[in-house]
Amino acid sequence: VTISALATCTPSSTARAWFTAPHPYLPLLASASSDKTVRVYSLTSFTLISTISGGHKRSVRTCAWKPGVTGDAESVLATGSFDASAGIWKADNGRTRVGGAALQAVEEGEDATDAEEAFQFAVILEGHESEIKSVAWSCNGNFLATCSRDKSVWIWEALDDAPGQGAMNMGDGGDDEDNYETVAVLQEHEGDVKCVAWHPTDEGCLASGSYDDMVRIWREDADGEWGCVGVGNGHEGTVWCVAWEPEASADPTVATTNGDEGEAVSGPRIISCSDDLTVRLWRRKPKAKPKLPTGPRMPSIIRSSSDEEVWYEDSRLPQRHGRAIYAVAWSKVSRRVATAGSDGRIVVYEERQTSGAGDATPMSIDGQEGEEEGRPRPNSEWDVVSELEASHGMTGPVLSFNMSL
Amino acid sequence: MVSELINANPTVYEKKERRVRSAPSDDADEYAVEPIDQPEVFDILSLELDIKDPEHPYSLEELKVITEDAIEVDDKQSYVRVTFTPTVEHCSMATIIGLCLRVKLLRSLPSRYKIDIRVAPGSHASEAAVNKQLNDKERVAAALENPNLVDMVDECLAPSFG
Repeated sequence: VTISALATCTPSSTARAWFTAPHPYLPLLASASSDKTVRVYSLTSFTLISTISGGHKRSVRTCAWKPGVTGDAESVLATGSFDASAGIWKADNGRTRVGGAALQAVEEGEDATDAEEAFQFAVILEGHESEIKSVAWSCNGNFLATCSRDKSVWIWEALDDAPGQGAMNMGDGGDDEDNYETVAVLQEHEGDVKCVAWHPTDEGCLASGSYDDMVRIWREDADGEWGCVGVGNGHEGTVWCVAWEPEASADPTVATTNGDEGEAVSGPRIISCSDDLTVRLWRRKPKAKPKLPTGPRMPSIIRSSSDEEVWYEDSRLPQRHGRAIYAVAWSKVSRRVATAGSDGRIVVYEERQTSGAGDATPMSIDGQEGEEEGRPRPNSEWDVVSELEASHGMTGPVLSFNMSL
Repeated sequence: MVSELINANPTVYEKKERRVRSAPSDDADEYAVEPIDQPEVFDILSLELDIKDPEHPYSLEELKVITEDAIEVDDKQSYVRVTFTPTVEHCSMATIIGLCLRVKLLRSLPSRYKIDIRVAPGSHASEAAVNKQLNDKERVAAALENPNLVDMVDECLAPSFG
């Protein structure tokens, strides 16, 4: 597998590009910049088609496209800024459509006002006390999570004011007032919360990573109350990014991990990368079958303890980075993992199933950590399949990379 | 602003003798790559603009907060690490001093440089916390968007005419 630079998006911002997000179905890339703007580039021509500005007073640290499908009338982008606020922006897809009039105008150097004004500020989400570091939409776009230096994770619910009307039918620009409600403020972290990531299929579950070196897993219970149900404890530096294992492949020829103790029981794994130069894979310990109550059903106060989950470090990826690892992503298509670090390096890893757990050598990552009961040995190993050095500097243009087999 | 000095009687040391920098001769290739070395980084931090201790009129060099030995430079790897020694181990100005050092280097070195700033092992009561904060890219970027902090840093970095 080789990675090569595909293109540089132009014109680039002279300020730091903090974060880029590819659009879920259109060939667009949003790039959050310390110049308080978000730049939207075409991924066919690699040119700037829109600059979102005027909403934030400080660096835009992050952005996230609301999930959607081809044919949607509009695109929704959430932004998170060091000014402690999050913004929701909307664009009529007809005005950003690639190959459409707006883009052609840019390519031909004509007046691009149409594209420039494509994104309209819809709503500002205020509540955090200090810099927002990360924002993420749940898999169906019903919830937005934000996290901040104020040590909290907030969950916002997009309220639909027109019940019964599917989003697909709202192309006529009706009066769809935007309204977001805070459904949870999660405060267990003891340091800046650097990242949030939703479960790939469950809108009632998300993970976060923090300056306190911890990964935390949060769930909504049957009463709609959110709480921390598990921790990934082990990193010896800031956890910069977490990512969930994508939904299991529908292809039956692809082996599921760990056989009967695999995904079906413990759910998708979480991968995290850190200032401590490690990339760690976390797995939930399968729950013992709950004993059926013999008497009358116990009151719900008992239930809370059964909500607790044990997450353990399943394995570590080969160490390739020489400086802090800032980002990790898990491909839905190839199921490979990619990391990017302060050392300017991009590394791609691939999981390889090893023979059954029986003849595996005992796990000795920590030395003192013995064989915990119910803690299966990893039956896979990760190989580095590609590396690219000097891919990025501290500041610089937004680059796109091409990966081929 | 600081009503009581954190270290009222700091030890003041002599400034180091400077080596004389040879001016490039006329026939030298002016586009030749000139590697950055340890004395040069020390000069950036201590001579070209005296970084003053935020609470004293002395330079960081005079207080031995930074010494040439505590600067590691790897020009090939574009890497600099500065280890500074706060005058007292509970120095609350340590993060500001560290931020000043980083800002000075950010403004002086080519952007390809990776910079680590830390307090000398054992020299500060909250060593790990100070180091973590000084090397967190988001904390540093956010600090540099704070006008009050930037004013403070600029004041420390202002040339001394004493």
